[in-house]
Parts: sequence; C-alpha cells; structure tokens
Amino acid sequence: MAMQTDTAQPAQPGQEAGLEGAHAGAAAAEHKSGGLPQFDFSWWPGQIAWFLIVFFVVLAFVRLFAAPKLGGTIDAREGKISGDIAEARRLKDEADAQAQAAAAEAAQARAQAQKVATEARAKAQAEIAAKLAEEEAKLAASGAEAEARIAKAREAAMANVAQIGAETAQAIVEKLTGKSATAAELAAAARS
Amino acid sequence: MAEHKIDPMEQFMVHKIMPGPEFDLGGVHFDMSITNSVASMIAGAIILMAFFVLTARGQVVPNRGQALAESLYNIVDRVLVTPIIGHGGKPYIPYLFTLFSVILVLNLMGVVLAVGNLAGAELTFTVTSQLAITATLAVLTFFSVFILGLVKHGPKFLGLFFPSGMGVVGACLMAPIEMLSYFVRPVTLAMRLFGNMLGGHVVMYLFATFAVLLAGLAATGGVAILAAVPSALSFGMVIALTGLELVVAVLQAFVFTALATVYLNEVVNFGHGH
Repeated sequence: MAMQTDTAQPAQPGQEAGLEGAHAGAAAAEHKSGGLPQFDFSWWPGQIAWFLIVFFVVLAFVRLFAAPKLGGTIDAREGKISGDIAEARRLKDEADAQAQAAAAEAAQARAQAQKVATEARAKAQAEIAAKLAEEEAKLAASGAEAEARIAKAREAAMANVAQIGAETAQAIVEKLTGKSATAAELAAAARS
Repeated sequence: MAEHKIDPMEQFMVHKIMPGPEFDLGGVHFDMSITNSVASMIAGAIILMAFFVLTARGQVVPNRGQALAESLYNIVDRVLVTPIIGHGGKPYIPYLFTLFSVILVLNLMGVVLAVGNLAGAELTFTVTSQLAITATLAVLTFFSVFILGLVKHGPKFLGLFFPSGMGVVGACLMAPIEMLSYFVRPVTLAMRLFGNMLGGHVVMYLFATFAVLLAGLAATGGVAILAAVPSALSFGMVIALTGLELVVAVLQAFVFTALATVYLNEVVNFGHGH
C-alpha cells in the first residue's frame, strides 16, 4: 500500500545485520527478488524484545486496571439487576399474599354473614312457631271452654225440656182430668 | 506513477525511525532502535490503554464507549472463558483479554489507518503481519499454557500425549503423533494470524495499485480512457476488501484468543473432560 519514495530503504536491513550479517544480507538480496521481508531475521530480536515490553505493559495495565474495572462493573450491574428482580419478586409475593389474605378475610366475612343470617332466620322461625303454638293452645283452650259451656247449656236446656215437659204434662193432665198430678208422678212420667 | 516500483512486500519492510541501543545477548544481536514496527506497536498500546482509561467508567448504565469496552471484555469472559473453561478460567481472563485486545488493535490499525498509506505517507505498519510478532504471541501463549500444565499437574500432565483406552503399546505408538499435533500448535497459531494479515494486505495493495495505475493510464487520453473502467472496478474492490479486512481483523483476534482458551482449558480442566 505504501507508495514509498525512499528508495534507500531496502538496503537498510543489510546495514543492521550485525552477527547475522551474511544471512541478513542474503535475506535483503532475497527481498529484492520478491522474498518476504518478514523472513529478514536481523529485525527479529529487536522487534520481539520491544513487543514483549509493550505486551507486558499492556498486560499489567489490563491486570491492574481494565479487567477488574470492566469485570467488576459487569458483575455489579448483574448483581444489581438480579437484586432488583429479586426485590420485585419479593414485593409481588408480598402483594399476592396480602391479596390472598384479603380474599380469605372476605370469604370468612361472607361465611360469618351467612351464618348470622341463617341463625336469625332460624331464630325467627322458632319464635314464629312458638307464638303459633301458643296461639293454637290458647284457641284450643277457649274452644274447649266454649264446648264445655255449650254442653252445660245443653244439659241445662235438656233439664228445662224435662221440666217443660212435666209442666206441659201437668197442664194436660189437669185439663183432662181436672186434677193436678204430683211432681213425683210427673218426673217419673217424663223420665220414661 | 511510473517511477514507483510495484512491490506489495514493501509495506511489510521494517526500517529504522530513531536509532536506539544495540547489544548482544547470548549470541543474539538486539537492535533496540525505534523502527516503524516498534512505533506502531507502541502507538497501538497507547491507543488501547487510552481507550480503556476513557471508557471504563464503571457506570451501571453505560454510555456507548463503556458499552463497547464491556462488550470486548464479555467476548473474552462470557463468550470464551466461561463457556469453555468455566469458573476455573477466571484468573486467566486478564491474559486472554490482553491477547485479544492487543491483536485486535494491531490488526485494526493496519486496516483503518491504511488509507493514509495511499497518499504515500507512511502512517501505518501492520505489526501482526510480522511473523516475528505472531510467533512471539504464539510461543508465549503456548508455552505459558504448557508450563502451567506441568506446574499444576506435574508429570501426570504428560499423560496428555498417551491416549487412554489403547493399551500400553498402542498408546506408545500414538504418543509421537499426539506430541507432534500438540507442539505444532504454536506454529499454526503464528502462521494463521501472519498469513491472514499478510494475504489481505497484499491483495489490497495490488488492487489499490491497479486502481492508481489504470487511472493514470486513462488520464493520458485517447483510447486509453477505457482504462477508467477497470480502474473504477479495482477501486471498488479496494473498498470491498477494506470491509472484508475489518472483519478478518476482528475474527483473527477472536480466533487466536479462542484457541488459546481451548488450550488453557486442557490445563485447567485436566482429567475432567478427557
């Protein structure tokens, strides 16, 4: 990519050859004929040494700063999210429990109300039945009394009938015979 | 245009920007000069750290920057480590996250700032297109995991190379193959990232060069004006490839980290999952 104008460059690795002079020179010559500059080994030790320095500086930086900071933040965020979710779940459970308690309470209240209503109905019915029985008893008593009175009246009336009969008979006897019958005779006649 | 040599490999060449100390250690010559590669990786690290300082605000309700930073962290934590390793993987998240974000920022810098290179200004350098860098990452990751396995499980960890249920002879026959497939891992890790970055940038360079050269040809007038059509097509390809390379940049950072997580899982959950 580099449209380099510095034509002196390709010769440089040869100058730096040092101990591997012959080899590096060969490599430079090889490069001129299209070999890979990466195989010019005269540059390797310096590049490797520098790269190791740079790499370990970055490693120390990552080890001491970047990794703990980034990892810590990610963990803290996940902890916060899961904590918040757990808290939300706990609150939801609490709300559910409260709703359940309220529902249970309502059900209990309804049952209580039903019980009270049933009891009241039963009580009212019992009262009505008692009153009814009392009234019936009263009526029966007065009925019996009335019947007794009627019987008595009938007896009295029947007694009066006998007497009327006797008196009638006496009047008839007197009219027919001209003499009055005694009371004992009349009673006997009326009874027969 | 004609004075430029078309060289798709030029963009991968390391050269000195600022001289630095040089020394020999164990027969290896270290040139600690600031090269374009070194400047890019330092710039990448500064961009990365500045991004996290600015975005990691620790708010419960994040803004866009913080959400992006946390998404990146979650790619490592929730997409990779937790599903693959489980809670035993927590202590390794900083390493894997560093791996992911360093590869990601270096990959992206190569694509996003590549526009600046078209103007001839050498603004960017794709650090992850250097085999030295991808090999360092792969070897560092692979051997950290391997040594962690030996420290945690002792010699028992070498049982990894002896498949169970094959009998002694069978297991001994399989051991070299298992070992080969195990120790080839850093090579594949390094080559995959290197190859993806290298290939994408070479193809982008070639199409960009076609676009520029054909446009220059069309500018000469006459019948050559027809060259404007392939030039426009090439330019369209550059735009499309830029989009593709953005995806590749993110994907390769993810793939590297995912494989590192899978390898780490064998150590952390050794003896559980086999």
